[in-house]
Amino acid sequence: MTDGLELLKKEWQKREADLPKLTYDEIHKMIWKKSSSIVKWILIISILEFTLPHLLYLVPSFKENMGIYDKLGLHNIIIGFTIFSYCVAFYFIIQFYRRYKEISVLDNSKNLMRKIIRTRTTVKHYIIYSLSMILVIVIMMIIGVYLNDDIFSIFSELQEKAQKISADKLKISLMIGMGIMGILLTAVMGGIYFLLYGLLLRKLHRNYKDLKQLEV
Amino acid sequence: MTELENNQNIVHKVCTLYTNDKDSHKDLFQEITIQLWKAYPKFRGDSKFSTWMYRVALNTAITLYRKSKRRIQTQDYESVIFKITANEYDPQEEQQLQLMYEAVKQLGDIEKALIFLYLEDKDYREISETLGITEVNARVKMNRIKNKLRTILNP
Repeated sequence: MTDGLELLKKEWQKREADLPKLTYDEIHKMIWKKSSSIVKWILIISILEFTLPHLLYLVPSFKENMGIYDKLGLHNIIIGFTIFSYCVAFYFIIQFYRRYKEISVLDNSKNLMRKIIRTRTTVKHYIIYSLSMILVIVIMMIIGVYLNDDIFSIFSELQEKAQKISADKLKISLMIGMGIMGILLTAVMGGIYFLLYGLLLRKLHRNYKDLKQLEV
Repeated sequence: MTELENNQNIVHKVCTLYTNDKDSHKDLFQEITIQLWKAYPKFRGDSKFSTWMYRVALNTAITLYRKSKRRIQTQDYESVIFKITANEYDPQEEQQLQLMYEAVKQLGDIEKALIFLYLEDKDYREISETLGITEVNARVKMNRIKNKLRTILNP
């Protein structure tokens, strides 16, 4: 067997003449093509993750929904909350940028993989944080509904349809509905997110595990 | 650029090992070229250009490269086939070579990297530095790979 490998080694070196030979121009053209490295993908996806939730505020219907918070008496809490979440996002972005900058193809393979995974983990923490914030907002809304005495004035569109139902019943069903929606939304978003990354980084994780295993 | 042109063999060899058809080969070659170009300003003259190239090429193949969608799923053996250039044609030897080469192609990404550096006649110090493992671990891993190849060839 080892002979086989030795034989291959001998031939491997002889074989160089058979390899394709590209000209200077051909190589030069390649430099300007777009890279499809996973680091680039991670950067693009991460930027989207940081910006998309904030762009939601620009959607008109979303703005209208913000009115509900006012009516639920959550106005000040939401403002404080928004300032807080911007600070957190800012912290994560800086952290992400610093780690992203550390990634260098010149590093040895293990360090390179470790740094990519670390950069990724920063965004992962941000996503976990964002998803839990969705849940917190939903919980706050549920509490808001619970404490509110005039539920019909908030959801005026419900008034006509819901005249036969008592306010208490409506409150409870609203709270349950919001709870289920909140959990579903978080679960679906989290599911898509982790599936996407699981696929993108599967190879990286497998190879990193291979290298790490050697240390045991 | 001229250095890249002169040393392109290294990149081609990495590509043949990590891909199975011409399109993927070209794709990976291009990605490695881009990475080399981007990293070049950081290249310090303290190591040989080729040493540096090994590292960037392997890192790209193992870690950064995402296979393009048009990759053909089935193995395209015709373009993979290891052409023997020996003048004296020995069918038995060629068959042995062929089997060995196919066995190497079945290895994992990290294992391929070790075999590649071994075929390139690199010592364990360079192998361990490129991959970021200790020299002892590089030796252990190499022995395991040899055993694995043995199992593939003699099931």
